[in-house]
Amino acid sequence: MMNSLLCLKEVHTHIGQYHILQGINLDIVENEVNVLLGRNGAGKTTTLKTIMGLTPASKGAIQLRNTDITKKMTYDIANLGIGYVPEDQGIFGDLTVEENLRVAMRKENEQTLQKQEYILTLFPDLKRFWKKAGGKLSGGQKQMLAMARAFVNDSQMLLIDEPSKGLAPIVVEKVMEAIQEMKKTTTIVLVEQNFLMASRIGDNYTIIDDGKTVHHGPMKALISDEQLKRKYLGIG
Amino acid sequence: MKRQSIFTTSNTVFCVMAVILAIVPFVSDSRTTLILLTQIFIFGILAMSYDMLLGYTGIVSFGHAMFFGIGAYTSAIMLNMYESTMAIFTISIAVGMLLSAVLSFFVGLLTLRLKSHYYAMLTLAISGLVLVVAEKWRTMTKGNDGFTFRAPEFFRDRMMFYLFALACLIVIYIIFKRFVGSPLGRVLIAVRENEQRTASLGYKTLHYKVIASVLAGVVASLAGSLYAVSLRFVNTSVMSMDITLDALLMTIIGGVGTLIGPLLGAAVIEFAQHYLSGLARDYPIFERWIIIFGIIYILAVIFFPRGIVGTLSQKLGEWKMKRKTAAVEETFQKVPPPGIADESGEWK
Amino acid sequence: MELIISLIINGLATGMLIFLLAAGVTLIFGLMDVLNFAHGGLFVWGAYSGIFAYAATESFTIGILIALLTGAVLGFITEKLIITPVYGNHVQQILITLGFMIVLSECIKVVFGPNGIPVSVPPLLAGSWEVGNIIIIKYRIFIIAAGFIIYGVFHYILTKTKIGLIVRAGVMNREMVQALGINIKRVFLYVFMVGAALASLGGVLMAPYSGVIYAEMGMEYAILGFIVVVIGGMGSYSGTLFAAILVGLAGSFMAYYVPYLSLAVNMIIMVIVLVFRPQGLFTVAKG
Repeated sequence: MMNSLLCLKEVHTHIGQYHILQGINLDIVENEVNVLLGRNGAGKTTTLKTIMGLTPASKGAIQLRNTDITKKMTYDIANLGIGYVPEDQGIFGDLTVEENLRVAMRKENEQTLQKQEYILTLFPDLKRFWKKAGGKLSGGQKQMLAMARAFVNDSQMLLIDEPSKGLAPIVVEKVMEAIQEMKKTTTIVLVEQNFLMASRIGDNYTIIDDGKTVHHGPMKALISDEQLKRKYLGIG
Repeated sequence: MKRQSIFTTSNTVFCVMAVILAIVPFVSDSRTTLILLTQIFIFGILAMSYDMLLGYTGIVSFGHAMFFGIGAYTSAIMLNMYESTMAIFTISIAVGMLLSAVLSFFVGLLTLRLKSHYYAMLTLAISGLVLVVAEKWRTMTKGNDGFTFRAPEFFRDRMMFYLFALACLIVIYIIFKRFVGSPLGRVLIAVRENEQRTASLGYKTLHYKVIASVLAGVVASLAGSLYAVSLRFVNTSVMSMDITLDALLMTIIGGVGTLIGPLLGAAVIEFAQHYLSGLARDYPIFERWIIIFGIIYILAVIFFPRGIVGTLSQKLGEWKMKRKTAAVEETFQKVPPPGIADESGEWK
Repeated sequence: MELIISLIINGLATGMLIFLLAAGVTLIFGLMDVLNFAHGGLFVWGAYSGIFAYAATESFTIGILIALLTGAVLGFITEKLIITPVYGNHVQQILITLGFMIVLSECIKVVFGPNGIPVSVPPLLAGSWEVGNIIIIKYRIFIIAAGFIIYGVFHYILTKTKIGLIVRAGVMNREMVQALGINIKRVFLYVFMVGAALASLGGVLMAPYSGVIYAEMGMEYAILGFIVVVIGGMGSYSGTLFAAILVGLAGSFMAYYVPYLSLAVNMIIMVIVLVFRPQGLFTVAKG
């Protein structure tokens, strides 16, 4: 594909003795919101973890532009400019908001601090609770902190796992706005169960079912394809 | 399901071994051999009891010596205070077992609900305390100097004691064998494999772990009683870390999670100790033979976590498997196995 | 009153020595999920190497530096050789570190001989002050001061510096730290070396305090260290300081008022804590 930033070819992943991913093919388009859809347990989260090297692929290849990252360590992958927001947000509970961001900063220089200022305009809540322990934040604030943390460095790409999970609709709205804003400067891979949200901010979609990628296309096409939605997502 | 015959290969081998060992004292009149073999039987019992914890339930105890020591002291003190008869000896074994059961019950209840680290750490701490108590309570234990006592009349003959120890070993072996095959034993193995899953199946894993720790403690106490009588002397070294280490070493080297492994381990270690302490007379470097054991032990943990028996049976299994797959391959196209190492059977 | 003050000083001094050992245990456990049973071996190596250097150079400062260096080097070796092959496998870790502990303390006997070595307090720190009726032994004050200074430095590093924040973040969520681009293995190694150096420091400071060093003291103090870690809460260094002082004070008071209980007092505290707060007095928030 022309402008694919990240490319997964026939990726398989085993966790323990379980064969979770059984053939994932993905082309992540630059500067778009790429949505991964699928039922619970289909392998969406594992796909993100495999990209990050947290559950390394046992077969297949993962390429970031021209570098092969299949066998790279998690921290090397992160340092290539991939930010990761896990499903449980992974906030460091005893550290303050400020400290959470500081741990994430690759360099504590002028540029990063400017980026931080910019991010804080996206998430004004974080500024209000600057000295509060991460563990004491509300679910929505934690989500924002996790996203801010992944975004504070110069990221080529953000992997965001179910940001709307367990959040009040009004908070989901805020998170969506932030994602749309972040999209201006980076590429986003979004795992999302909430189809309404996914369809509104997604540019293209990939459906994962039983550990395999089964469908791919522009989001507009999926919105009108009732049959596909019913078959793989159980909606419509 | 096919009913298991009593005359399986392993049972036959076991019986033959038992008979040979029973005949040894009638054939050989070497005192050293007899004493060495008796030691092996006693430490074999200890190591098997240790494997109940480490190999079958997957819990690491660093305090096994205290149960051994309780048994040793109970027998020694009772034989010293009352008359030296078989009856008193038998009662002392029972009393030692009872004390060990009570202690291991409370220690287990207190610490086994926590992570494995805690049990290792706390058994180490508690046995350290028990050792200090034994050292300070000189009126009872005579501290590190220890005391000698008379063994029951019946055991004056080394051969009798040899046979008695062998009988104990066989009885304990059979009990353990039945135990690990019983539903209770199966649950213990399940706890080792995956404690959470076992708990979610509705088993109260704490109860089972406590049962294992009590059983191990009780049998270790028996080994201690035998040990004291075999030496006719006892001092605080029966409670020391070295005893736990011996049990640990025998189990690891022999093979965890098997009953024959610890026995084999006991034989190997006892022979090696005997041999090395002989060498130490000529070459002082061997006085520190513990270092050699320590290094072997570390290497074994890294490279042969299954020990002698485990590694051998694994190799045997692979060899059988290979022959089987070779036969299958002739008829079918071989499907490449998934590229992931199977970790089952390793420790978690 | 005089009595109480001197008992407090005794208790604090012992507590600080235990803290130095336990701090490493708790940090390594909290961050790496590794319970290092060899820690006592590092303690005793610190004592012997430091005292050896002190005897050779007649400078206690050099002795302390040598002890720190020995600790760091042994920490490096332990992490690389002993811990790395068995990451993530608790049972193997426990077994192997205990084995290494034995090797370390037996090696002491090979290198320095099997008998205990008497140690005297360095002249500058020897003697005592008399304040009113109270006799204050200088070396104990030195240990207490050293303990608080180290705690202070520790606290500063862990709360104010980036590496400290990374270590604490690693204690809470190791995976996430990696996903933020940090090589956690390298952080592990540093923490291990620092923990080992602290244990060695504890050992060398202990030596003049107890007056004699012997190979078995590693295990004895390691047990105290473990008890303290359990009481304080695994992974919490503030909890460790608190528990170490508690154990030190309890030991010192009991030894005076109820001598026959002094042995059991640590155990009693630990049992009480385990019954009512099995996770320890202080805990670290995960996630």
